[in-house]
Amino acid sequence: MRSKLWPELAGFAALALVVAALPRFISDFRARELAIVGMYFIALLGLSILTGYSGQISLGNGAFMAIGGYTTAVLSVNGVYGHQIRDLWTIPIAGVIAGVAGLLVGVPALRLSGVYLALITFGIAVSFPQLPKKFDHFLGGTTGKILNLAKPPFGLATTTNNWMYYLTWGIALVLLGVAWWLVRGKTGRALKAIRDSEVAAASSGVSLATYKTFAFGISAFYAGVAGSLYAIANAYVNPDVFPIILSVYLVVGLAVGGVDSLVGLIFGAGLIYFLQNHADTVAGWINHLPALSLDPKQPGIPSMIFGAVLIVVMLLLPTGVGGLVRRLFGSLTSRLYTRS
Amino acid sequence: MVLAAFTWTEFAQQLAAGIREGAIYAGLALAIVIIYRSTRVINFAQGEMATFTTFIAWSLMNHGLSFWTAFPIVLAIAFAGGVAIERVVIRPVEGAPVVTVVIVTLGLALLLNGLMSVIWGGANRQFHGPFSTRTIDVAGVPISVQDIGIVAVSVGLVGLLALFFRFTKLGLALRAAAVNPESSRLVGIRVGWMLALGWGIAAVLGAVAGMMIAPVVFLDPNMMQTILLYAFAAAVLGGLDSPIGAVVGGILLGVTITLLGRYVGFIGSTLKLPAALMLILVLLLVRPGGLFGRVAVRRV
Amino acid sequence: MCAIVAAVAVTSADARPVATPGVTADEIHLGSSVPLSGEAAIAGNVARGIEAYFKYVNDKGGVLGRKITFTYLDDGYDPGRAVNNTIRLIQQEQVLAVFSSLGTSNNLAVRKLLNDAKVPQLYVSSGATTFGRDYKKYPWTIGYIPPYSEEGELYGRYVVKNIKKPKIAVLYQNDDYGRDLLGGLKRGLGSKAKSIVASVGYDPTSADVQPQVTQLKASKANVLMVFAFGKFSLQAFNAVSRLGWKPQIFVNDVSSASALMAIVPQNAANGSISIVFGKDPASPLWRNDKGVRLFQSILRKYGSSVNSRDLKDGYFTAGMATAYTMVDTLKRAGKTLTRQSVMNAATHLNEKGNPFVLPGIVLHTTPSSRFPLTQVRLQRWSGNAWHPFGKLISAKPG
Repeated sequence: MRSKLWPELAGFAALALVVAALPRFISDFRARELAIVGMYFIALLGLSILTGYSGQISLGNGAFMAIGGYTTAVLSVNGVYGHQIRDLWTIPIAGVIAGVAGLLVGVPALRLSGVYLALITFGIAVSFPQLPKKFDHFLGGTTGKILNLAKPPFGLATTTNNWMYYLTWGIALVLLGVAWWLVRGKTGRALKAIRDSEVAAASSGVSLATYKTFAFGISAFYAGVAGSLYAIANAYVNPDVFPIILSVYLVVGLAVGGVDSLVGLIFGAGLIYFLQNHADTVAGWINHLPALSLDPKQPGIPSMIFGAVLIVVMLLLPTGVGGLVRRLFGSLTSRLYTRS
Repeated sequence: MVLAAFTWTEFAQQLAAGIREGAIYAGLALAIVIIYRSTRVINFAQGEMATFTTFIAWSLMNHGLSFWTAFPIVLAIAFAGGVAIERVVIRPVEGAPVVTVVIVTLGLALLLNGLMSVIWGGANRQFHGPFSTRTIDVAGVPISVQDIGIVAVSVGLVGLLALFFRFTKLGLALRAAAVNPESSRLVGIRVGWMLALGWGIAAVLGAVAGMMIAPVVFLDPNMMQTILLYAFAAAVLGGLDSPIGAVVGGILLGVTITLLGRYVGFIGSTLKLPAALMLILVLLLVRPGGLFGRVAVRRV
Repeated sequence: MCAIVAAVAVTSADARPVATPGVTADEIHLGSSVPLSGEAAIAGNVARGIEAYFKYVNDKGGVLGRKITFTYLDDGYDPGRAVNNTIRLIQQEQVLAVFSSLGTSNNLAVRKLLNDAKVPQLYVSSGATTFGRDYKKYPWTIGYIPPYSEEGELYGRYVVKNIKKPKIAVLYQNDDYGRDLLGGLKRGLGSKAKSIVASVGYDPTSADVQPQVTQLKASKANVLMVFAFGKFSLQAFNAVSRLGWKPQIFVNDVSSASALMAIVPQNAANGSISIVFGKDPASPLWRNDKGVRLFQSILRKYGSSVNSRDLKDGYFTAGMATAYTMVDTLKRAGKTLTRQSVMNAATHLNEKGNPFVLPGIVLHTTPSSRFPLTQVRLQRWSGNAWHPFGKLISAKPG
């Protein structure tokens, strides 16, 4: 494992360089789009630790994003004892609160296996949007909560979009480093052991409960940070900002990207964003095929395109893009996780 | 919200509505369980498949056919569709990770939903069911004939399926293929086609559920979305590998949630789904396989 | 002296005015964000109606020599995507104004950023009162349709005037849409507000509202207010019929399309009362109406991917009505188009003759009265059609 260190560090540095330099070459709005991709990426990082590493499927991480987003909203708007909190400082708090929620979910999750866990977490994704409607005095209901527009701090001379870009990808790189460090060490080995064989892991003294719960907490923390950033970027939250389908999209991004590949996760995050917001571009590509002329404005066509793309991609690449990349480029790729 | 006072008449009516809701959940939950038992796949497209076949029924009836003439045609189309989906879309990803198959069924759901909007449009439409909308007096309580009919058809269908699985060779082969594919192949069962058959049967169950509920809730592409969520809940409640569980779970869930939503002000309409989740979570903690299911317990 | 004049002439030739985004010598660019996917996708037809109308106007020469380009983006009724779309419209598409975006929460989500960027947020497709009322804080925003709250008030006043010993049951969607209607109803009832004997909210995630209607019937009310959206309204009529209940029903405007009323049990629908301000293309009332004929010919010729169903779809008509007002606004803003001049025109409307709304309606605004459409008529359903009665009444707040 030691010999893989230099390629991975080099890959990380290359990524950091690209992130830093990119805004100079792209439009302002594109920077905002990449910022949102970054938020999905952060959420997917967390989800990959949970699913790719500890082998627990969660169809509910959108709810953890919502917890993070609402934490930021409540702290910024309602404040604490009337004192509104600056949006930046709410990000770690949102992550921690979401993380605690994740730990709380992780405990009963221990008793559930595979499909049952997937469906229960899906139930969480379905149920969570109802809470702001029930407790609407505090959480705003469907009217939602309106935050102050995000602005670069300390009077930095940059646009809001660039600021969100750097903020998001800065945090993403830090969290990427944290995830890398986690899975390289004892935690990662324990989680991998659990994923490969729970019986063997437990027999060799690995505390299943601790690590599995911890994985839930970590993935929820990441999702909470992502949700917080998303709330700041939109300056608005309501249940429809974190809909049920968001949890599904996260799993889509994970599956299509490839559960344990860095390149795959970035690709997955990009795909989630792209398919939602650039359906007309995809329709344009499809219309090059003979006998097809799709109008992306016709109700129903965007859904059909999204669904068809998902099916085709999964049929062609069952292990996701990450699997494809690994097959093509072998050990040269900067990989987040080493497979022993 | 101003809650109306309690009357026994109203309670009986709410109970009847709950049983009827539960019958619909039971039908869909059974479809989910059949597919899960045979292919280990959670079919997220189950609701959209049901709505799609209901739209086909609507089209046939729009062209002049009566409900009972269209009914067997739609079931045949549903069966063929289910088999085709299994062979074309599910089979290629049979060995793939669970996540992959989940995504495929989700993609299928999106595709079908969009297709319905494109073909038939998103507006609500009336669906003329086979049952009259009269009410009859049951021990002093006005109950709708339609509700009784829905429950009767659902129960009847479940009964037929039970007989099929128990007493026919094909049913036995299906069960064998689900439980032990390897040994089944050894005795000459075409396991691949058994899986497709399971999907076909599930599609038929969905079609019936759709045609039963459409007269009540009106037909539109999104008709089954909330119902599917409750059907998943019912399937988990009953145990994902237990057909009996699906039926019992469905009815139980329908009644409990309707009554809770009506008589517990805090839950009301807003927290019905979360309440269902809580109930099932608590149950699963006590019985990890649901009411009737079995989950292997490893003691380490 | 000549030198000074020459100097001034030279500098003013260089001092070209800053170009207004979305306006060139021959083009005006407008934008909108609407649901084209998801549960609310049918409402997205409003934008498709607008698109067809603008193409028609362009064919006739455009507005004061400029053709209108209309960019509308799908937000799936997700406010996060609406924000993203709106920022894209402002920054990437560089539109002159954003108009007719759909949904109360979506418009709330983008209101601050549009006002901050001084981009007009015109003719918001939502009946929440705030879009017309809070202009002091949000001067670049203006509403369009009669507020839901005022609609409820009209029903309340009607009950007080026309129904003896009313006992009112209310079925309402449990969000601001339904609660606005309910609040307005209570205001309209005034001292008779106690005649509301039961009110039950339902969540839009419900599968069916029969349990709620069953509960309401048990209150023995003789009036039922259906403040429900789309399929829930249909289910309510279904339940009322099945339960053998015969109250006087009031159904809110959004759910009153003829196409919907025609498919519910008529024994429950007959006698229902609602308000109306637009022309419903599915209604026999307007079968030979010039405005509806125009609507259908425009849609046939200029609509993209439309079919025969769409010719009877009121969402398309609503879009054209808004588009007509938008063109009217642009004309009033004059040849020198700036965002400010557009806003001024929008707050000084006096529009008669919109062919897609009831005859006699005047869309009128002032900078402190930002509700363009406030006139409605009451109508009663019988014999498979709506029959307006009485004259135009005001649904204006305050």
